[in-house]
Amino acid sequence: MLRLRPWLGLVKPTIPLSTLIASRAFTQTPLLPEKPLPARLKLNDADLTVSYLKGTGPGGQKINKTNSAVQISHKPSGIVIKCQATRSRSQNEKIARSLLADRVEAREKGDKSRVALKAAAAKKKKASKVKKAKRKYRALENGEEGVAEDLEDGYEDGVEDELEGEGGKEEVKKVGEVSQGSSGA
Amino acid sequence: MPRIPVSVLIQAHRQNPLLPLLLKECRSLDSARNELRWLRERALRDSQSRTRLKGSRLGWRMRLRSMCLWRSRGFPLQYILGDQPFGDLEILCRRGALIPRPETESYTLEAARLIRQSLENHHGPKLPRPRSLRVLDLCTGTGCIALLLHALLSSHFKDMTILGVDISPLALDLAQKNLDHNINHGLLSCRASADLHFQRANVLGRGDDSIPAVEEILPKYFSQPTVSSESTGTGCDLLISNPPYISTSDFRDGTTARSVRLFEPRLALVPSASDFTENTYDRPEDIFYRHILALSLKLQAKITVLECGDMRQAVRVVEMYTAMISSDLEDSSAEIWPSAEPDLAANGFHPYDGSRCVIIKRQAK
Repeated sequence: MLRLRPWLGLVKPTIPLSTLIASRAFTQTPLLPEKPLPARLKLNDADLTVSYLKGTGPGGQKINKTNSAVQISHKPSGIVIKCQATRSRSQNEKIARSLLADRVEAREKGDKSRVALKAAAAKKKKASKVKKAKRKYRALENGEEGVAEDLEDGYEDGVEDELEGEGGKEEVKKVGEVSQGSSGA
Repeated sequence: MPRIPVSVLIQAHRQNPLLPLLLKECRSLDSARNELRWLRERALRDSQSRTRLKGSRLGWRMRLRSMCLWRSRGFPLQYILGDQPFGDLEILCRRGALIPRPETESYTLEAARLIRQSLENHHGPKLPRPRSLRVLDLCTGTGCIALLLHALLSSHFKDMTILGVDISPLALDLAQKNLDHNINHGLLSCRASADLHFQRANVLGRGDDSIPAVEEILPKYFSQPTVSSESTGTGCDLLISNPPYISTSDFRDGTTARSVRLFEPRLALVPSASDFTENTYDRPEDIFYRHILALSLKLQAKITVLECGDMRQAVRVVEMYTAMISSDLEDSSAEIWPSAEPDLAANGFHPYDGSRCVIIKRQAK
């Protein structure tokens, strides 16, 4: 057999297989870049009081403390953040600073703050994920053909709100309402 | 030590059956919870790496339980986990070397700040900016001070020599491991392996066949003349030390924590009685300071930073220094840090109790 078709081993594909695999998209919807979040608020160092919390006692060589909590208070707003997430004092301070900046910004800007925007984006993403999952399982219940059609529809549109499955339209509407309601809140 | 109320023990047990074990050593629910979290993280990480290595999954719960049992007997958390953060570095800890303390971290940061400050003062139009820095770290142990100083100051100096000296070969081995570990993890620049040296020597000045005295090994590292001390040949910019400073009575009477007393090396904590021979007017816990101060004068160290056990010991060290220089009429100042209210609060020091350090500054002539 091999002798009869010697070209089998010689002909090479013009595009290497690896790039084919790498460039194969799982969806046909182009990936939109996420909206950049506003920069994190820079707090003025003069407004902050950083203190390292330690227990009373002799300290130094005589005692081996494992507590490395850091507390930062922001004087103008009165917000106090305490962090003891890690064993490292410098790491705890960094975490506390970024948390404090987020809290101060949230208080100043409300819904337009970095944290609120981030939470809203995450909520939207989750709602869309739930909706997709529901659609998938509903389609599975309805049978194989439904799956293929549903998926194609979904990917072509790229927008999940308008969907025409074979059945269960009422359910689809429900999901849409839920996601809208939650993203609006 | 006050007894832990039964109600707290019950509350702890409800949250996690392992918490009462940790409470034995931690004494407060808050810190016990923290330690349990760190131990669990490590147990999970260990079991994951082990499955990759051996293919057999050891139960992380069993491992966590045995860690908590060790901890309840007072075994230091840092020895169980194997490391301790120090500044931005990760210092490996093994039995036989003192675990780096947060107070020591504060002193090291302050020393680095003083060096940077002196650099700015130097930055006049007439004087050339010094390019080299020599640091001597006595009783280096895990090498934490030497390593952190390199991390903090290497960007300011082209030429750096940091020598860490210790008498324990175990500690020196660990210091070298810490150097490699931090370079491998990208926490120290590659320069560090050329700039840092660890040498075995006796700080108390009596060299014998196996262990040389500190003075004997110094010329090898500090031979070129510095800007300030061309005449002597050996000089250093910063002498820093965290020597053993606990008295034998403090070691026994409960001032020193059980965990420290039982598991950390006595060699690094209490100056041994056999070293106490020559001076009758020094207290036995202060003997290291006399030797280090004499070395500081001999090397004409610009800045000397010495950790002390408490305020009284720091005062004794300052008195010792003023008595030593009275004949020389040196232009220098010795102060206890932190003593000002803002410094104390910012670094988390107790207002009157706890460790202090003595900082001696020599004005450049």
